[in-house]
This record gives sequence, structure tokens and C-alpha cells, in this order.
Amino acid sequence: METKHPTRFNHLKKWESTLAACIRCGYCFEHCPLFKYTGWESDAPRAKIITAFGLLSGELEPSEAAADKLFNCFYCKRCEAACSSGVTLTDIFTDARKDLVEMGYAGPGTTAVTDLTCAQCLLCVTACPHEARFHGENGIETDLVKCQSCGTCVSICPANAVNILHTFGTGKEDLTRASARFLDTHASAKAIVFACNWSYYPDLQASRLPESETHDKDYDIYVNMCAGRLEPETLMAPFLNHAWGVLVACCPEDDCQHKNGGKRSKQQVKRIQSILENLDIDPERIQVVEIPDGDKTLFQAEIDTFIDHLNALGPIK
Amino acid sequence: MKTIDESKLREIFGEENIKTDPSDLYAFGSDASVHHAMPWAVVRPDNTRQVQQLMVYANDALIPVIPRGGGSGMCGQTVPIRGGIVLDMKHMNRILEINLPDVYCRVEPGVVDDDLNLALKPHGMFYPPTPASSRIATIGGEIANNASGVRSVKYGATRDAVLGMKVVLPNGDLVTLGAHTRVEASGYQLHKLMVGSEGTLGIVVEATLNFVPIPEYRCMGIANFDHLAHAGAAVGSIMASGAIPSMLELVDSVAIKAVNKTMNLGLKEVAASLIFEADGMVKEAVDYEINKMKEICKKHQGSDITTSYDPRERARIFMGRKKLFPALSKYDDNLSSTSLADDMAVPYSRMADMAGKIHEVAKKNNIIMTAYGHCGSGCMHTKILMDTKQPEQWASARKAITEIYEFVRSVNGTTSAEHGIGLSKAASFKVEKADSLRLLQTIKQALDPNNILNPGKLMQAPDDWVTATGLRYAVNN
Repeated sequence: METKHPTRFNHLKKWESTLAACIRCGYCFEHCPLFKYTGWESDAPRAKIITAFGLLSGELEPSEAAADKLFNCFYCKRCEAACSSGVTLTDIFTDARKDLVEMGYAGPGTTAVTDLTCAQCLLCVTACPHEARFHGENGIETDLVKCQSCGTCVSICPANAVNILHTFGTGKEDLTRASARFLDTHASAKAIVFACNWSYYPDLQASRLPESETHDKDYDIYVNMCAGRLEPETLMAPFLNHAWGVLVACCPEDDCQHKNGGKRSKQQVKRIQSILENLDIDPERIQVVEIPDGDKTLFQAEIDTFIDHLNALGPIK
Repeated sequence: MKTIDESKLREIFGEENIKTDPSDLYAFGSDASVHHAMPWAVVRPDNTRQVQQLMVYANDALIPVIPRGGGSGMCGQTVPIRGGIVLDMKHMNRILEINLPDVYCRVEPGVVDDDLNLALKPHGMFYPPTPASSRIATIGGEIANNASGVRSVKYGATRDAVLGMKVVLPNGDLVTLGAHTRVEASGYQLHKLMVGSEGTLGIVVEATLNFVPIPEYRCMGIANFDHLAHAGAAVGSIMASGAIPSMLELVDSVAIKAVNKTMNLGLKEVAASLIFEADGMVKEAVDYEINKMKEICKKHQGSDITTSYDPRERARIFMGRKKLFPALSKYDDNLSSTSLADDMAVPYSRMADMAGKIHEVAKKNNIIMTAYGHCGSGCMHTKILMDTKQPEQWASARKAITEIYEFVRSVNGTTSAEHGIGLSKAASFKVEKADSLRLLQTIKQALDPNNILNPGKLMQAPDDWVTATGLRYAVNN
């Protein structure tokens, strides 16, 4: 790439001893939505740290593929919470991005991209909680260093002109496809549960259970990057695939990482409830519940209550 | 570097299951050890047939194949010292069967230990080896290294839990070893040979594992000691008394200070603490075991002895041990916590001497070393804290490790208790097993005549671990 400068990682340099302090235990794997989706260790947070070390030490030549590893991150910081060495991984990724941008690498990784249908209404610029959207030479642009891939701009854009291209299983189409597959393959299926990555993170995704353990599952959980980003089509799709109900888990309103995600998800669910009511379907077949960060017990209790409710209602006729 | 026929790999695995970009290969060149070396390609099988096809190709083309699980090994077992193809087994991750009446499960090698335990939990069962890395370690990797952990004192290591397995040999043949029964006396127990073979003899594609009931009661205790020797004597007495601890951990003064310094836990800074636990289905039985251990600790001048069944209190007691890893990483900004000489085993009666020797050697060589571990199973862990940028620190570490292993062998200990040999411990391993090295090579030669499965490890590894591969640290010139 001609625009690139010689390899200089001035921002990354300050993390030299932290990169050595990472003991590379890999405890971050299980917590990373990217790794869980691709199953490739080279997409896991540890690999990003190794990449950063390789770039800084000069053992690894900068390249689009190496840069992509650093531009692909949803900043959920679950890796940091799980880190046995207390490494603040995303701070390192951010500084690596600064260097890579200065060298001419342009992502986008998981950062938001704007297409030509953008009306430049600036709604996303004011809504971005990370001040990563700005009016630049090419219209509304994304600051590749500041963007944390929260998707606020995606969900707020009235023209659907903002997208996250690399969704790693958390995008609208991914969720719709996955839920349809579950409903289609499980005669016992009743509900789809959409869980916000920040409030709940499911275990047992790195391994596949035997058919004997899963054939009578009545619900499945699909993690998204913010309940506020769930669109009406995604929430309605399970009903078209004969689901009895849909449960949305969001973070408490005062604890949303993405500014108003909880509020937006409640509004969205309310809209779907009105649609169901108009169709003469019990509106309580779609519900939203607030789950504080990591409260798995409450989450399970809410799911159980919801399934009991659906059992009382029976299938939609 | 040999040329890899990428079209052949694509034919076997499909484009989406191959990595050849340098940025991916670089990430697969590491594990949790100090080593780094680049593979030539990474492939990800979904089924046994693909593993067989790869081995037929690699055996014919004489290309090294390095099986890899979670990549959490601490001695460089999966670091491709001679290049080759990394066989990433994480996608063969199906729990195939949980057979309660016959008390076994069948799993593919990529199943993560914690995931298996989550699947067993609703049935009131657990898979007992319990290595500390269970959240990432795969069953295949655990088998390859004969992994174990805090509960090995009661429940044994991986070798004790493996009933049988299916293995792809270096020539691509598929063989079934062991059985689905608790006991077997039908000839050579080749499945046991595969356990701990570090991916050098065959590739486990399915394992049949024993599981055990989750105990109804757990009681944990802690005792402090002003002298390391007293704590060591208490360990020996507990194990000789007939008590069956489900955990018996030692934490030394360096570890306690590290936890206090970085985590501010306010633990009493004594020479050593023993953390002990008993579990079982009947409370009276657990009481009996725990009281016995308490009495022995008291007899050996243990103080501040407390025990509890309460999960929160148990978590508090275990906090110092649990926080040790991050505490050592944060001990000093200029020091890294390295996994070197990190899991020797010695007879119970030499446990305190071992810890004392570690302190002595560390001081002499100007590095910081801790001594902690599953002393109930004879395992002593260490971490070396050093400034990895300084070449002289590596020279000191090399010297310290040689001295420590000389001591281990002199007291009839063994180089590795649960992490394996890989690259980092090969020098000591080769001295320890000097009179059986030829036998080991003969076994390797018989199964892998072309030496393509994880070559350059165990008895084939270089004697100097510092220069065996590139180090994964930036070391000043």
C-alpha cells in the first residue's frame, strides 16, 4: 500500500511491558463474541494481543489482514473482565488503531460505514456516544479510532445508510437466520430469546451438545450487541416461523453502554405489541425484561416465567 | 520450508477452514509458553475423515503436523518448532453421548472442559481432572498433556478418567483403543500411552471419559504456618493419615506478599498457608475428613485455622490462591510472570525442601520465584518473575531452572506433574528419563516412522530451551 509510512507504532509502544505481561492463558476466548462466532483462535482477543506484539516488535509486517484483527472488536470488554493478568486489552487495540490509521489502514473491521444514501441529517453525529461520527470531506464519516462498534448510528439512521459490515453473527440477518433455523429444526421450540451481550453472556457455546440433550429445547438464546439495535423485522421474524413468543433482554436504562439502548428496545417491543394486538394476538407474547450485567439467575428466572406464560397461552392459532 | 499443496488442503477442508495469511499464522505460533515459531498453514477439521486424509497427505509429503486444542499449554507443546501444518481441533467439538447408566461420556477432542462440565451438571455429575485452564482447555489437549488440577489429590489426573479413545495414526489409519468399561485387562493399554504423548504419537478424534457425582457437601479450611517446613510436614502427615482431601494447596510467603501487594487482600504474611478441602455425599463423613486435617495442621503448629461449608466463606478462603495469577502478573511493571519449571512433583516429605530450594535458587540468581501448588498430589507450581527484556535475566532463569531440576531429580521427583514437557522442560526430562530415552524413541519410531507428528518435542526437543525457538518476548540485543 503506497500511502503507508514505514512501520512505526508510536502509540502502541507504551504498551510494550503490558504485552509482555499478558501470560497468553487464553481465558479471554470464551468471552469474545468474535471467537464464538468464527471459532478461529486468530480472531480471539489473545490473537489481537499477539498481533499487536508482532507489529510492535517488527516480527509481523503490517498488512490489511493484521490491521483487520485490531479493527474487529465490539468493545464489550468481556475479555478484560476475564483477563487473568488484568490487561486492558481494548486500550491496546485503540492505540494500535491510531498507529494503523496513521499508516493509511482504513478498516473498516467492525466500525460503522456510511453508504451513498446518507442524507447527512447529522442524527448519528449527535447520537454517537463515542463522538466517532463527524462531517468530513466525504460526508458523514467514522473515526476509526473512536468507533466502538456499538451500532447506535446504525439503528438511528432514518435512511438505513449506516452499516456495520462485519457483524460476526450479531447482525439483523444473522439473528433472523439463526432463530429461523432453531424454530425449523426443533419441534419443541416455543420461544426465541434475544439477549444483550452486556447484560447476559451465554455459556456452553464453544462445544456442541448431543441431540439427546437438545431435542426437546423449548427456547434458544441469541446474543446481539445491544437490545436497542433489534429491529422490528428481527423481532417479528420468529412469529412468522411459528414461535409462540419472543423475549428481549436489555440492560437497565441507567446502565446502558450504548446510550438509551434499553429505552429504544422497550419502544420497539411496544410497537410490536401493538401490531400483535391489531392481529388479535396476545401482545404479551413479546416481552422485554431488564437484566443487570451478568445476572444469570434473574435472566433464567425471567425466561422460565416467560415460558410458563407461553405454555398457558399455547401456540398462536 | 517445504511447499504445501494448498489445493490439497482446500480439497480436504474447504477454503473456509484453512488459514495461510501471516497474521493468522503468527497468532498460531504461540501458546501460553515463552516460545514462538511460525507454522506454514492452519487447518480446521470437522470430522475424523478429514484428519485421516490430512495425515495421509502429510505422511506422504513429509510435512510436520501439530495438533492443537485451546493453545493453553505452558511448555510449547503446540509451538511448531519445525514448521508444518497446525491441526486446530477446536471445531471437532461435539459432546457425542452422555451415558448415565454406564457412567461415561463420549466427546470429540475440541470440547472445552468447562462446557463438558456444564453439560454434565444437570445430571449431577462432573468430569474430575479440573485443570485451572478448564475454561479454555480442550479435552484433546488435556489428554495430550495428562492434565490435572486442584482436585487431582482425590480424583486423579486425565489418565485416570480416560476409558478409551479413537486415534488417527500418522499414516492416516484409525484405531480404537481402550474400552467403554471401568476396567480393562485386554493387552497393552495403548489409550493410556496416548495420554501425555503431547500429540507425538497419534491424533485423538474421540474420547470415552469417566465422570463422577458432584458431591453434596464441600468444606474448605485454611491454616497458617510460621515455618515452611511445618507446612510441608503437615502435608505429609495428612496424606499418610488416610484422610482423603479433595484439595490440598500450599501457598508460600512470596505468593502471599504478591497477592497483598497487588490486590490488597490483607492476608496474614506468614511463611506458608495450607488450604484444604474435603467433599462427599454425607456431611458426617466430610466432617470427619476435615477435622482430621485440622488436627494434623494444629499438631504441626498451624495457626488461625478456620473451616467453612459456606460457599461465600469458601470463596474468601480460596481468594489468595485464586488471585495469585493476576497478582504475579501485576507484581511489578517491569517484570513478567513466565511459565518455566512450573509444575514439578516431589514426594510429600520433600515438599517443604522443594519450596525452600526454589527460594534459595531465586535469590542466588536474582529473580523472583514463588512456590505454590497442589501439594496433596505432590505438585509444586512456580512462576518466574523477571525482566524479559534483559538477556542476563534469561541467562539467570536458565541457570536457576537447571539447579531446581537437579534438586527435583535428587529427591526422586519428576520434571512435570501436570503441564507436560513440550520444549521448555525437555532438558530435565531427558536427564530424568535417560535410561528409557531409547525406548521412548523406539515407540515414537514405531508409530511415526517419518517423524511428522509434532516433531521436535519431548525427547526430540533441543537441550537449551532459551534458544530452542524465538522467544515470544522482546529481548534487548
